[in-house]
Amino acid sequence: MSDSSGACFHCGLPIEPAALQQVVIQGQNRDFCCSGCMLVCQAIHESGLDGFYDKLKNNDALAPPPDVDRNLEQYDLDDVQAEFVTTRVNSQHKISETTLLVEGIHCAACVWLIEHSLADLNGVITANVNMAHHRLQLRWNRDQVMLSAILKRLAQIGYKAVPYNQEAAEGAAAKRHKALLYRMAFAGFGVMNIMWISIALFAGATSASVIDPEHKHFFHWISLLIATPVLAYSGWPIIRSGIRGLINGQLSMDLPVTIGALATYAYSVWITLSGSGEVYFDTVVTFLFIILVGRYLEGISRRNASSSTNRLMELQPRSALRLLDGETELVSVRALRLGDQVMVRPGDKVPVDGRVIEGHSDISEAMLTGESQPVVKNVDDRVVAGTVNGQGALVVQVEQLGKDTALAKIIHMVESAQGSKAPIQCLADRIVPWFVATTIGLATISFFFWLRQDFDTALLAATSVLIITCPCAFGLATPMGIAVSVGHGSKHGLLIKNGAAIESLANISHVVFDKTGTLTEGQLSVAALHINSAQRLSEEKILALVAAAESRSEHHIARAIVAYAKQQGSDLNSVQVEGFQSLPGLGLEVVVDSHKLLVGNRALLEQQQLSLPSALLDIQNRVQADGGVAVLVAIDGQVAALIAVQDQIRAEAGSLVAALRQRGVGMTLLTGDSQAAANKVASELGGMVVIAEVLPQHKGQVIAELQAKGERVVMIGDGVNDAPALARADVGIAMGGGTDVSMDCADFVLMDNALQRVLFGIDLSHQTLRIIRQNIKLSLGYNLVLVPLAMAAMLTPVFAAIAMPLSSLAVIGNALRIRRLCRPNN
Amino acid sequence: MDTIYGLVPAMLLLALVSVVVFFWAARSGQYDDMEGPAHRILDDDDPLLPKTGAEKPADKKVD
Repeated sequence: MSDSSGACFHCGLPIEPAALQQVVIQGQNRDFCCSGCMLVCQAIHESGLDGFYDKLKNNDALAPPPDVDRNLEQYDLDDVQAEFVTTRVNSQHKISETTLLVEGIHCAACVWLIEHSLADLNGVITANVNMAHHRLQLRWNRDQVMLSAILKRLAQIGYKAVPYNQEAAEGAAAKRHKALLYRMAFAGFGVMNIMWISIALFAGATSASVIDPEHKHFFHWISLLIATPVLAYSGWPIIRSGIRGLINGQLSMDLPVTIGALATYAYSVWITLSGSGEVYFDTVVTFLFIILVGRYLEGISRRNASSSTNRLMELQPRSALRLLDGETELVSVRALRLGDQVMVRPGDKVPVDGRVIEGHSDISEAMLTGESQPVVKNVDDRVVAGTVNGQGALVVQVEQLGKDTALAKIIHMVESAQGSKAPIQCLADRIVPWFVATTIGLATISFFFWLRQDFDTALLAATSVLIITCPCAFGLATPMGIAVSVGHGSKHGLLIKNGAAIESLANISHVVFDKTGTLTEGQLSVAALHINSAQRLSEEKILALVAAAESRSEHHIARAIVAYAKQQGSDLNSVQVEGFQSLPGLGLEVVVDSHKLLVGNRALLEQQQLSLPSALLDIQNRVQADGGVAVLVAIDGQVAALIAVQDQIRAEAGSLVAALRQRGVGMTLLTGDSQAAANKVASELGGMVVIAEVLPQHKGQVIAELQAKGERVVMIGDGVNDAPALARADVGIAMGGGTDVSMDCADFVLMDNALQRVLFGIDLSHQTLRIIRQNIKLSLGYNLVLVPLAMAAMLTPVFAAIAMPLSSLAVIGNALRIRRLCRPNN
Repeated sequence: MDTIYGLVPAMLLLALVSVVVFFWAARSGQYDDMEGPAHRILDDDDPLLPKTGAEKPADKKVD
């Protein structure tokens, strides 16, 4: 009996017939989409954790297990562990503790599965999963179990985990966020308590039975007692930054907040001491609380956006196989010295920058250049740390280590670009100087106007102006708008890592695209299959034969052809493959269904003295001119077909470029690729300036030159080589499928690589900016109405206590409208 | 009305206690994961199936 739904028992994805795996578990025949899912399900069953599947809810989608790092043993090296493990020795045992970042946690059932299966492992003391942040807190006994064994156990049940150095990944930002929570909470408690006092005071002030002066005085002192620590503790960062801004001549939103809070507080203290009049301590406390809530919300959205991009890819391997007297030994990269020889096995990452001294292989430098096609490396060629080895084993002599590697240099470039970027001045910040000057001016005028009457009224009028303009709504206008739009964006696949960049995105004038992986898919796929009309076999038959032959090969072009054949519905299992022979640098020779097949490049055909018919020759030249690869197929001594394999342009790229052009935004294609390949993409999309064959270190310069011409530049890219440009641009947008470095330094990340979200992002930023403007107008309008009242010395505490929260509420409500006003149109 | 001279300081003391409790809770990581524990409470009592061949550590509690 089968599960009949055609969906994988483990991950629930539809099963491709060619990849179907079946196994009997709990007396039932179960279908899986891949051997990974099957192995995971078996491992779960064997540990008696079948309850996992009962805990899954219908909408909890699992994914097939991620590929597991083959070098888990590297995490047992003391040098490697030193970075992320803390070990304590108690009476008999050595207890280690670490935090791991786990990929593949979807739901509560995953948490249950991980915790239970690790708890069964001998030597694991505690395993706690933080579901919100995908972290695993682990404590284990080093004498009983190795870290690699724990990681292997996780891999068996379908989760990939890597050490996570919290200090490095979040560090100061997390600490600041937590401090903000404390300050906000403290202000919150202050508000709750001071309100009771205020209600008593208001009631006494308005009702017929006037409050007993003795009680009133007591309440003033209690209010002072609550407001003082709130101002000192909760308000301290705001006051400090306001004063520091004043000293440095950079007026920020904090300055009017500081002036308002301090003036109100000082006036109230004076009233308390002198014993006559009304105090406004509650206003100070509420005001600080609301401002802190706004900032905290902004902080949460930003943190959520950043932590979603926190993925597991580690650019540089931590360990290497050192070759000494013909023997290999696993050592930490730190233990390597210049001149050492390291072995790079097929599929491994190159651990260091160096020179090949033995072997040849093709190496994928996609992470560095974004270029999908591997580069062939022979003896004496240079290889770069972090790139991925293909088919052949290499012996590499170490030439650069650590800080000197190309990767480290690019990261350093990113940091300096980020450092040199001017902080974004948001709209509110530009208004601040006017706001402060006007407020202080009006307060001064009121003071001198009333001074002719008496000093007390003059002081009351002047401070009333400062109190009523106390810019709560003004201060919330920007953070609320940004918090709402960050949340809204991430719900629709657009992660906004830097909220301040939303305002910049609304005013951009030029978009710079990376080519490979951004405008194009970033991986090879079959563009077309051309048949030689002179032979008899059908197109489907040829495709099935070629795909069956290629399914034996691990070459990246082979994989593209197999994927295409499966997509076209070819059944590869019914075809018999015999005598598979790979011809390095040429292609392969194979017998499929008693047909003799040659699949490979031009040189292979020439070697066999086969000539290409002129029709196919034209196509071959065209494909190659466009930067693609023409795979030639000969069947039984006759050229049968040409398969054009190409990195294809993303489906949505065309509409994005058209829409941007319609809005009058300039566009540039910036790539390290050849001029011809870049021209082809640009001409297909239309209306782009092409700058090709650019080195990674020069990409940032191109952006800087555009900025020098007065353009406000958006950079969209995905590779490590784009990172300096992303950091330099006014707004950097990274692809979610790209490298971590690029996402790290971008302001926005497009999840699922959905390029059309760029337009949504621009619309969202326009809406957000509009709402922020409205909010600022709203708060200024409120001041316009109330300031004359204050100047006339007619302000009462009750009135202030009601009017000020009302204006804040109006601003918050208005900010929430962003969610309704702006939706992605697909 | 004299009771307020006792009650108000008591209220402030209570507020101070709740602030301290909140700080303690935040510091000990109770707000770090806002999703997991809500589900975890439903999971604890599920028995594990008897295992075959897997060794059971003696120093660990078996549930």
